[in-house]
Amino acid sequence: MIELAGISHRYNGAPALVDIQFSIAAGEKLVLLGANGAGKSTLLKILDGLIHPDTGSYRYKGEPIDPRRLKAPALNRRFRAEVALLFQNPDAMLFNPTVYDEIAFGPRQLGLTDIDARVRHWAGVMGLDNMLDRLPFSLSGGEKQKLALAALLANDPQLLLLDEPAAALDPRSTGWLVDFLADLPCTVLTTTHNLSLAPEFGSRVLVLGEDHRLIHDGPIEAFLADPERLVAANLVHSHRHRHGALEHRHYHLHDWS
Amino acid sequence: MKAEYAWLSLYLATVLLATLVHDPLWLALGLVAVLLLSGRQAPALLRRSLRVILPFNLAVSLGYLLLAHLHAIPPWETLLRINLRVLAITLLTFLFIARVNLFRALAFSPTLTWLLGLAYSQAMSFARAHADFRLALVSRSIVRPRLRDRYRASAAAAAWFMDKGLASARETAQALRARGFFGD
Repeated sequence: MIELAGISHRYNGAPALVDIQFSIAAGEKLVLLGANGAGKSTLLKILDGLIHPDTGSYRYKGEPIDPRRLKAPALNRRFRAEVALLFQNPDAMLFNPTVYDEIAFGPRQLGLTDIDARVRHWAGVMGLDNMLDRLPFSLSGGEKQKLALAALLANDPQLLLLDEPAAALDPRSTGWLVDFLADLPCTVLTTTHNLSLAPEFGSRVLVLGEDHRLIHDGPIEAFLADPERLVAANLVHSHRHRHGALEHRHYHLHDWS
Repeated sequence: MKAEYAWLSLYLATVLLATLVHDPLWLALGLVAVLLLSGRQAPALLRRSLRVILPFNLAVSLGYLLLAHLHAIPPWETLLRINLRVLAITLLTFLFIARVNLFRALAFSPTLTWLLGLAYSQAMSFARAHADFRLALVSRSIVRPRLRDRYRASAAAAAWFMDKGLASARETAQALRARGFFGD
């Protein structure tokens, strides 16, 4: 479904991604790990065709994705309908006057006939069915995250790109999201820097190092069991532990934010 | 550091001079001089300056035109003066920011450096957020969004920035107070 080869990108001269190469098969569930600033969000925006890499090639279902090709209405329409990105800040995605209109935005653009049923279905799934008349701006952070997700899913995307989807969610909603994504019948790539959650989002992991290169692509268990690579990727932290009079220091996998 | 400070002083003196010059010919010559100093960056800086001043200058110019018409006075010299002055100063400011490291220029004052740091970090964070709002609309648009949707997206972004700006200003003021900045 996705093939990236030799992707590099810079922001104002500073590297954001260096020589990234991987492919994703349809139906896979993957996790993208990396410390803050490693390039996770940039990679998702490249996969969503929002920014284009300085070098390298990106193919979606065999079709090269570049600025010139994405100007073709047929490809643009198909690509935008099939690929959906949940931004880290859901506020950036919400602009309609009501929750109902927000979910209906995509289906209306697609010219679908079952808009009302889709809106009510996804609002129900996300627990937003009693808020359909509310202004999206007035929702809580977690509700906005769910609304943004509902708005994307109402289009039946084939590739779902999620940028830190659990960041604004409470523990109950996070548990729900893990179960929900596991059952979702589409390809999902989820970024997180929360190692305790990562294995729940997929069995294959892509890891971006602090040098913005892909330092691991494979089973997540193997990566999480390799302390040297975790340290190299700046994904673990160490601090002093006090157990009564005893004090020691070691690396941790537990969440830190 | 001394060079940056000298450039800052020269910039401020030039801005002051531009506000004292009233002859449109001299202002036009000043504008040409800034364009020449901009070198290869001139077209980009000019485009950026025009984009920034257009809404404000258009509103002021149209207002003045109406006023001049009502009072039966010739508007053209004043309009030329106002627009040339604003364009020249804006262009000079963009050129100054592009060429001079502001942090080094303000290094003589810890307070100004601190305030610049606060403003810069806010601006960077807002610039990133603004890019996300723009990209999110592109990402969600399967077909070209209607004008109404674009207005709605702009309004939602403006509301978010207003909200964030107020919250951020409140937090910054609290942080400054906590560090004794206001001396109360």
